[in-house]
Amino acid sequence: MTFSEDRVRAILAWVVIILVVGPVGAAVWLGVLYGESPCILCWAQRTSMVLIALVGLFVLRYGPRPKYLGMAVLLGAWGTFMAIRHSGLHLARDIGQGFAAPYFGAHTYAWAWLVHWVVLLTIGALLFLLREAQADTEPRPLTRTGTVAVVLFVAVVAANAFQAFVTTGPPPFIGQADPVRFSLNPKRWVWMYEDEIAGRVSLRGRWTVPKPDPAHVEGVTDPANGPLADLPVLTTTNRLSIRATLDGRLTDLAVDPATGRFLATTDHFSVYVLDSSLARIEHRVHLDHQYSIDLTPLAGAAFVGDTLTVLATNKSYVLLRPDPDADPDREWRHFKETTGGIAELRRSRFATVRARQQYVLSLAYERDSDEFITVSVPSPRHQRMVVSRFDRRDRMLASEFLPRLADSLTLNGPDRSLAEYVVTGATVADGLLYAVSAAYSTLLAIDLERKMVTGAWRLMDIEQPVGLAMRGSELLVAEADSEIVVFERPRGAHR
Amino acid sequence: MVEPTAIVGVMEFLTFLLILAAAWLLWRRPERERLAFGLLIVSCIIMMILFLIGTHTSLVPGVNI
Repeated sequence: MTFSEDRVRAILAWVVIILVVGPVGAAVWLGVLYGESPCILCWAQRTSMVLIALVGLFVLRYGPRPKYLGMAVLLGAWGTFMAIRHSGLHLARDIGQGFAAPYFGAHTYAWAWLVHWVVLLTIGALLFLLREAQADTEPRPLTRTGTVAVVLFVAVVAANAFQAFVTTGPPPFIGQADPVRFSLNPKRWVWMYEDEIAGRVSLRGRWTVPKPDPAHVEGVTDPANGPLADLPVLTTTNRLSIRATLDGRLTDLAVDPATGRFLATTDHFSVYVLDSSLARIEHRVHLDHQYSIDLTPLAGAAFVGDTLTVLATNKSYVLLRPDPDADPDREWRHFKETTGGIAELRRSRFATVRARQQYVLSLAYERDSDEFITVSVPSPRHQRMVVSRFDRRDRMLASEFLPRLADSLTLNGPDRSLAEYVVTGATVADGLLYAVSAAYSTLLAIDLERKMVTGAWRLMDIEQPVGLAMRGSELLVAEADSEIVVFERPRGAHR
Repeated sequence: MVEPTAIVGVMEFLTFLLILAAAWLLWRRPERERLAFGLLIVSCIIMMILFLIGTHTSLVPGVNI
């Protein structure tokens, strides 16, 4: 199949239309209607797309001259380089930690990569299919240099064929992921194919991790079916409710030990500072979750002195502080809405090692060690519970561990595991990390020094727990519907 | 879903033999351009299939997009 020049022009017209209306036009549309602002690198990539479309117009007008097609290839190659360079800043981060807002599941720097790659593919396809006007029908005689090139080619490829036979073998054997060194001794040849075809086909492999909803964890809630056997019941002592009106479902709650105030987050990216009666809103901000470090839904909250720390499920965090002198115009870039008198200090990401490719649904702060603590939640691809600790001063990883089980606790069977728990709230007291799991409605006590679960209790009559806070000797389990169930702190797990 | 076992009958060794054959035709039988080009295409396809076999458990690099 070949195309005439007229047909190539018709196809090229559609390519230009798609390019202009698609990525270039949509970028302006997103900017004007949704406030999407490109960075300096984004601008360069968008300009490159515009120039490619201009080259297409030249071809429509004057035909597929080599210099036009060459220019398009150069632009496509340069655009691909720019997109790779830009993407390289973010591609290796942890799951969900991109830059600015994703569209159709990918960020703009990834789309630029795809667009320029498609441009190169399109040019190649059109050149391949373009009908040749004056093609040579007779082969040309080889020059002396040409003959040398052909002989060398045959010799080198023959040597490759020999090496391939020795190291990979005849059909059906294929190359190995972890080959051994070359040997002419047939006894040492390794011919195999089983390892390379093992495993199921997957688009994203270990990165196939569903995003959790911090306000709605699905699964079994009956603690009697949980992985730990014969747990005692922790009795409810009181019930509270947040009487102030929130803009969404609650996703975490913390108590300031100094003032008794509450810090609450919602699934609408809002952060509330509530008075000790839970009735009055002292501060409220609606975080802009797209600029520029993108936040997935907020799932953790902790007081660090007068600094408010909130954490998203993708381990991106925001530090806030009440400040009567906060500049509203400066804070506009951080907040979509605010009651005023509060400033954003910093926005960045926690980086983990063992908990990589796992989301989190909780945040705690331990004053003695001056460290933040998160607990990862399992996914079908990653069945493990990881406790990660971050130094408050530089917010870098300080330590990580997979908690073991104390001898006083037993699993409900050999195939059960602590990783079945989905920790949605956590708080620290006396060296113990208390963690509430929405799965199986269970409270865990983790000895941070011994890295061990030393106590566990069944929590009755709770529904969708999203947060855990400590107030004196009380443990407050916050539910997504803004109800709070109060328990007396259990004694059995004290160190 | 395509099972990898269905396309495992191709391998690097065969690819190099096809490339050698194409080069031989270009050198000694230049009038067989269509056959040589066909061998080139088949070699490319085999190369791609082998690459996909090697990466089929994670077709996209393991990074954020």
